[in-house]
Amino acid sequence: MKDMFKITLSLVAMFVAAGIIMTTVFARTAPIIKVAKEREEKEARQKLMPDADDIVEAGTWEPFGKHAKYFTAKKGGEAIGYLISTYGKGYSSYINILIAVGKDLKIKEIKILSHGETPGLGDEIDKNYFRKQFDGKSPEQIELVKIEGTDKIQAISGVTISSRAVTNGVKEAMEFLKGKYGVSG
Amino acid sequence: MSNTASYWHLFRNGIFGENPVFRLALSLCPAVAVTSGLKNGFLMGIAVLFVQTMANVTTSLIRKFIHPKVRIPSYMFIIATWVTVTDLAMAAFARDVYAQMGLYIKLIVAFAIILSRSELFASKNKVIPSFFDGLGMGMGFLLALVIIGFFRELLGKGSLWGHPVVDTKPLLIMILPAGGFFAMGILMGFFNWVDIKFFGGTGAGGAGGH
Repeated sequence: MKDMFKITLSLVAMFVAAGIIMTTVFARTAPIIKVAKEREEKEARQKLMPDADDIVEAGTWEPFGKHAKYFTAKKGGEAIGYLISTYGKGYSSYINILIAVGKDLKIKEIKILSHGETPGLGDEIDKNYFRKQFDGKSPEQIELVKIEGTDKIQAISGVTISSRAVTNGVKEAMEFLKGKYGVSG
Repeated sequence: MSNTASYWHLFRNGIFGENPVFRLALSLCPAVAVTSGLKNGFLMGIAVLFVQTMANVTTSLIRKFIHPKVRIPSYMFIIATWVTVTDLAMAAFARDVYAQMGLYIKLIVAFAIILSRSELFASKNKVIPSFFDGLGMGMGFLLALVIIGFFRELLGKGSLWGHPVVDTKPLLIMILPAGGFFAMGILMGFFNWVDIKFFGGTGAGGAGGH
């Protein structure tokens, strides 16, 4: 009985101490991380839509239960395309993706903003040969396949879950945009 | 033996005598996974070096308060705390480095080598020797990853740190997992050969063992 009490006490004391340390560090770093992230995302938006002189937030939406924003890219007051941030549920993390879409609802380019997939495997999704597959695709073409030589998205071998996560995230976003900005009727 | 000499022995022990990858054969999974390039290996090694040293020091500091029956969860908690702190601090103050290393840091929680040094060394020794043991083991791991990464990237991609150096068709197998085991096995054999040939098979002259 006495031993049990000692063990519990020893663990609880340690957990409380570790909790305090982690909370302190989190409280101090969270605002800095938030500001830095927002700045990076803004830069990423501008980079994906180099022609736009103004990118305005158009609203929020919820892919896979996460909050994400979408934007209208304007040039001289005229909308030239859309930017949408989306998530895909990967192997060990949510993959945050930013998609640049033209007025014709075809993908211009995608960018992986952040992810926590396995280094050496899952992080292959951030390599050009995978990402570039999305360029110029229309919403109907966003589908993951495991064979070569189609106009769909080809999965990376050994990285199926992460590949699928990106594809699903992009697909979800494109359907959302289609419902929002697609030709009515 | 003076103190300075024994600290040096501890440090050298981690690098050669009980090199985590080549001699203790611990944490081989991450060692194969991240060494497809020199840069990956180096960044992972730095992250491990830091967490290993800090975890060793912390474990040693509170070793008298850790109840023996729950020591493993306690070590895990110390490691997890340091990994979280490192992760957050880096995300806030070193964004560029974090973009490169963020993925590796979180993996360290489950590294066998860090847990094993907590159990085998830091829980039985004073703070300063534990610090040097952590430093040595971390350096040993870093060096091992750099050496493996060097050969794998050179042979598998013909480049070093992402820059092309030789202009021939590379041996693709070297950057695949199988190549990782080839490189590791051959280097392990080389280390053993050096040990037997020059140090009489005692692990760098019987450095600071236990």
